[in-house]
Amino acid sequence: MKSALKWDVIAKCGTTKARAAVLTLPHGPVNAPVFMPVGTQGTLKGITPDQLEGLGCQIMLNNTYHLGLRPGQELLDACGGAHTFQGWNRNLLTDSGGFQMVSLLKLAEITEKGVQFESPHDGSLMLLTPEHSMSLQNSIGADIMMQLDDVVSSLTTGPRVEEAMWRSIRWLDRCIKAHKKPESQNLFAIIQGGLDPALRAQCIEEMVKRDTPGYAIGGLSGGEEKDKFWRVVSQCTDLMPREKPIYCMGVGYAEDLVVCVALGVDMFDCVFPTRTARFGNALTATGTLSLRQAKFKDDFRPIEEGCDCIACKSYTRAYLYTIVTKETVGCHLISIHNTAYQLRLMRQVRESIIEDRFPQFIHKFFKDLFVEKSAYPEWAVNALKSVNVDLIQGEETQN
Amino acid sequence: MPPLTFSIIRQSTQRTAARRGTLVMTQATSANAHANTNVNINANAATPATTTSESANENRNRNGHDKQLTKRVIETPGCFMHTIKGTVPHLTPDTLRLQGFGGVHVSIEQLLQDHQPGGFDKWPFTLSKFLNLQDMILLCDLRDPSRFVKVPVNSGRHVSIKTHKGIRQLTLEEYLKIIRAYQPDIVSTFADQVTDGVEESTVAATWTTRSGSGSVSDSESEAQGSSPSSGPGLKRVQRSVDRSLKWLDQILLDRQGGDALAQDRALEEAKRRKMKQSSQSAEARKSASLAQDSQQLDLTTGKTTSTTRKSWTGVGVFAHVLGAHVEQERVRSAQETARREAVDGFIVDANPLQGASKETILSLLKVSIEHLPVEKPRMVYGLQTPEDVLRSIALGVDLFDTSYPFHLTEDGKASLYSFGSHKTAASNTGTSFITMSDNNSILGGTTVAPKNRWINLWDDEHADKFIPILEGCECYACKGGRHTRAYINHLLKAHEMLATVLLMSHNMYQYSTFFSNVRQSIQDGTFEQHSAEFTEQFGTEPERTGEIHAAQAIVEAALSKRNRLDGGSNGNNSSSHSEGEEGARSKEEKAEARRKVKEQERRERKERNRMEGLQRKKERQQQQQQMMAKDELEVTMPRES
Repeated sequence: MKSALKWDVIAKCGTTKARAAVLTLPHGPVNAPVFMPVGTQGTLKGITPDQLEGLGCQIMLNNTYHLGLRPGQELLDACGGAHTFQGWNRNLLTDSGGFQMVSLLKLAEITEKGVQFESPHDGSLMLLTPEHSMSLQNSIGADIMMQLDDVVSSLTTGPRVEEAMWRSIRWLDRCIKAHKKPESQNLFAIIQGGLDPALRAQCIEEMVKRDTPGYAIGGLSGGEEKDKFWRVVSQCTDLMPREKPIYCMGVGYAEDLVVCVALGVDMFDCVFPTRTARFGNALTATGTLSLRQAKFKDDFRPIEEGCDCIACKSYTRAYLYTIVTKETVGCHLISIHNTAYQLRLMRQVRESIIEDRFPQFIHKFFKDLFVEKSAYPEWAVNALKSVNVDLIQGEETQN
Repeated sequence: MPPLTFSIIRQSTQRTAARRGTLVMTQATSANAHANTNVNINANAATPATTTSESANENRNRNGHDKQLTKRVIETPGCFMHTIKGTVPHLTPDTLRLQGFGGVHVSIEQLLQDHQPGGFDKWPFTLSKFLNLQDMILLCDLRDPSRFVKVPVNSGRHVSIKTHKGIRQLTLEEYLKIIRAYQPDIVSTFADQVTDGVEESTVAATWTTRSGSGSVSDSESEAQGSSPSSGPGLKRVQRSVDRSLKWLDQILLDRQGGDALAQDRALEEAKRRKMKQSSQSAEARKSASLAQDSQQLDLTTGKTTSTTRKSWTGVGVFAHVLGAHVEQERVRSAQETARREAVDGFIVDANPLQGASKETILSLLKVSIEHLPVEKPRMVYGLQTPEDVLRSIALGVDLFDTSYPFHLTEDGKASLYSFGSHKTAASNTGTSFITMSDNNSILGGTTVAPKNRWINLWDDEHADKFIPILEGCECYACKGGRHTRAYINHLLKAHEMLATVLLMSHNMYQYSTFFSNVRQSIQDGTFEQHSAEFTEQFGTEPERTGEIHAAQAIVEAALSKRNRLDGGSNGNNSSSHSEGEEGARSKEEKAEARRKVKEQERRERKERNRMEGLQRKKERQQQQQQMMAKDELEVTMPRES
């Protein structure tokens, strides 16, 4: 199908499956691997568009389901789409909204037609079909739009998983057919199939035939065993076309990002960094600081030495301790810091790939974060071993 | 010598006492401190040696370049930005600096932590640096000027403040410790503000009596007669003035490096001895524990004063002018405070007069201002709406705080008013405004704000208005038409924090512009004319009732319903996609919610216990004071109840 993006791989890691690329979208270039902050309702948790640009963010997420309910399609059409609406001139990716109906609403019923659910606002029944989702996403005007898929929990087993996989393929066909602006908006397919390698392989085979501009790995990050998670990711990146961007949905913990990049993933999103910020948790290379804790009341260091975000340049942990979870500014500052942290992490990952020292970067990253090798998560050790990085035996200096 | 200068650039030539000026804080570097002339403020100069050691820290970053002076300026009439916990609500440091204000007001009751001031031993900063506000003139006061909180009554030893953990009693000694640690540019005096509240009936009664022949005691009996429990009596007010003057002197002495607390200690000592002597009596046995308390206090006091005493002459002192609703006391407080040459400026807090009519409050303000020296700056709390500001300026007030734009923001309102230029507000917006004549006929001269004063972005009518709040406004929200009314309406309904960020940016910027236009009009001699036009065009701010907008009520109800549902279900709602961590993280969120509820309960319980404790303590203190009355000359019987 038509594509409104350009995918230029500029460097490949000599050891792992990682790659550095430039993804050129209608609203400018995106340096991959990339972490995309999630601004569900057309705003990123109190961060202004200027601040987000200042952090070097080139693409953020909105949610079709939420924007479809409010401000609604009519208003989105009236103002010319979500970019204008929120004053964001860089790229947007919209999730299709299928997941929200399954995760947030008790009364969602999935049929071949679409997902029927009860509106949280007035209790009326609504039906989200692939056609409706495309129509909404066309109105939003996202640079990347996601197909409506049949989402099942990654803990589900049995025939339901296979049913959802096949239905997602059929819905992809309907999405492609309903997509009105393939020349200016990119539709990504979402690979389903649960934790079953055979289903995943089948889904990829079918979806690759549809030749969408990019592919996402869906149905993960739902509380499944991490050792199963990484195997699915790795299997998918092996089977997916290498000349297209690969997006792993809902992944955002630092160690997950680093491992998944090594497994060949290019794009990530997660609400975690801004969500956890609201509880006063600041992310650093050496772990999370819970700034609510009294131990910070006389700690006059910045959150993270060397971080150039406005929170670290302006304030100490002691001051942040006095305002986190109490003042909105406290929340804004930690959200900014956490977003800065995620984006910086991805920049560092990218630079190390370009300079072909990604394995060394991985060693250092794990050492900083977990200190002791005994504390390294086993799944991460296994995953990285599968791409020739031995965290336990290997040394930081190895190449 | 404090490096704070106030200069009047232009005194209004017309009917009012309005004046335009500048408040300048010059960062004096070591020996050059004295080269900074024009400081007409403090009669007592510090010794050069002290000054050097004082500013040594400041100089370290200046490559030893002595002559470098930095100036921070507040143009007056102007504002200190109001803060909560040391932060201007909703504004991060970058956005904060787009607002055009040069000063910031920090209240101790908002910022002070439980372990402070004791924990200040480890404090490596000045308050300006701690709050990243070195480019602002920082004024530090005890209380938050944006609100009036009834707190338990003060005593000769302490002042009650409302911190985030409840009521706390702060002594002068602690206050001095805080000043020494914070080192703000300006500090207010430790004042015994009458916080018992004044009912309109009391004020009115007193006020009429005053304008008649009545002596002060008459007015007091009148007040008591009319409604005995409705407000502070004369003696309470007199004592508040007396105490505050005493504390003012102590603060000024301490600033010079003197032992401000020596007299207090001597008094305590005397009391203690007296108490011991009479320990045989049954009365004394009752208060034996109290005596022990005071002994412990005395010991700590002694310990503190034994440390080296440095002066803090780099800090300006703004004195609270008191007198509550009693004119004679207002005059006395103003005159006596003005007599202290070392005072750098004055603060008149109108918040405790809450409940009285605007006319009464302004009349009382006038009484204070008239007895203050013209050459020093005057700040007022509690009169922040544009029309109150204009009337205060006309009385000769120079400084305000920004709680007005903050309150608008909390209500979802966006300013449209403007001063001096009449085209900006009403002309260019897409919505149809009620014109002035229409407005008059519709509202019939009530105090409801005309439509063009502000708009409430919770209103549904803005949902499809893809226009900025105010066309041509240069604030962060409006500039270039980037953020529209429709977007802010959406953000409010979506319960997203960017709503208040944008509203605050706009409202602060408009307030700043308002002041800038006021200054220009004083310069041009059009202040009086434009003031009259302003009130005519924009009416009067309706009183904040605490009622929330219907749309807001709906959103909040939906949110609390959702939270309840989320809390009640443990469904396997975890899956993939962009909100994928939601499932994994919702545990954390729920635990957090539970923790918050528990915390809240704990706090309420604590507060209840505390209030009960305070009540008991007060009773004990009253007994004690009755005893001490014999020893002290000027102690009057406690009337507060």
